[in-house]
Amino acid sequence: MLFFPTAGSTNDVAAACVERWTEAGDADALEGLVVLADAQTAGRGRHGRVWQSPPGSGLYVSVLLTPWRARVDPARAATLVTLAAGVALAEGVEAATGLRADLKWPNDLLAGGRKLSGILAEASSSTGGRGAPGLDTVIVGFGINVHPAAFPAELADRATSIETELGRAVDRAPVLAAVLSSLAGRYEDLLAGRFDAILDAWRRRAPSAVGRRVRWTGPEGTREGVAAGIDDRGALLVRTAGGTERIVAGEVAWL
Amino acid sequence: MVDIGQLKQILELVREHELSELELESEGVRLKVRKETLVAGGAAAPRAEPAAPPAGAVATGMAPAPPGAAPRAAEAQAAPEIELAVVKSPIVGTFYRAAEPGARNFVEIGSTVKKGDVLCIIEAMKLMNEIESEYDGEIANAYVENGQPVQYAERLFAIRTR
Repeated sequence: MLFFPTAGSTNDVAAACVERWTEAGDADALEGLVVLADAQTAGRGRHGRVWQSPPGSGLYVSVLLTPWRARVDPARAATLVTLAAGVALAEGVEAATGLRADLKWPNDLLAGGRKLSGILAEASSSTGGRGAPGLDTVIVGFGINVHPAAFPAELADRATSIETELGRAVDRAPVLAAVLSSLAGRYEDLLAGRFDAILDAWRRRAPSAVGRRVRWTGPEGTREGVAAGIDDRGALLVRTAGGTERIVAGEVAWL
Repeated sequence: MVDIGQLKQILELVREHELSELELESEGVRLKVRKETLVAGGAAAPRAEPAAPPAGAVATGMAPAPPGAAPRAAEAQAAPEIELAVVKSPIVGTFYRAAEPGARNFVEIGSTVKKGDVLCIIEAMKLMNEIESEYDGEIANAYVENGQPVQYAERLFAIRTR
């Protein structure tokens, strides 16, 4: 585990480690590497969005995984790694604090409809790849808002923190320990091919994945439909007048 | 059957004479060669494309032709195109040519790339996959527009290797 009082982005630190170890020919040895920062000066979300990461306020962590090493169906393991991470975060937060967060497809943690945690997973692939098609190391970065200071006031209607939800003080260390422990467990599920256990746990924590109206942007422009759960590869199913659509990526808004 | 040498000759003829389509039937074998006019994406920018044969420009369909059977169009990586490497998508997802909206594209047609350079990102299940070049060379073609969904093994780029 590497700890930094301040890092640009823990994902970037992890990526730099991968690059250095790859040159040394031993990137596989980095499986399980954890990069932790007290504050990030360039915390990122999807598509370059900022993840607010002020000092002492949240958990800013990256973990390096190699799902292509899965003993059963590495391609499916790689596809489900981000869902598994979402499940693990929800389980870890609940184990440490008692706060039960919902999952929003694919892996945001929400409490009372506001964002508690986000995950940014990054992988680099050459198109040859090994194991899973093209996938090498996966860096799973996540931020968890523990104290209310983790986000600015103007995000208050969209963001929340563990302390805000519980109304009491919460230490970060036990939350980190519980989250890493549940992540290790769910990663082992992935490697062992226990995909149904991950999917079932995800479904139990994701009420918004069934029956809610959603809007998404696909190849034919912006469309709407009713969420109908996830399939066995984690894709969001959406019923529309024209049939059921399968969404694996892009922007999905809950209406 | 047509052997590989004959096939090469035929493909050479198609290219030399700039034929768009050629159909041959001989000894129970029907061979149809069609040259696709490739445009990178619908809204191909008015970028100057280097004068070079586009990747996969020659598609061949070859099948024994019993009466009434239509020739099947199977894509073949024709031997004369070997200097062009086609980069295909390793996963199903959404294709991005830049790291974030407003940022510069990782590569353009004509860009020089080295092995390990990032060509694009494909997002699936909120996992951002940076697709790296396996070759040193120059981008000869880009097949997919930013933000479009891509299928497994769909072509993304052609690289003129060196």
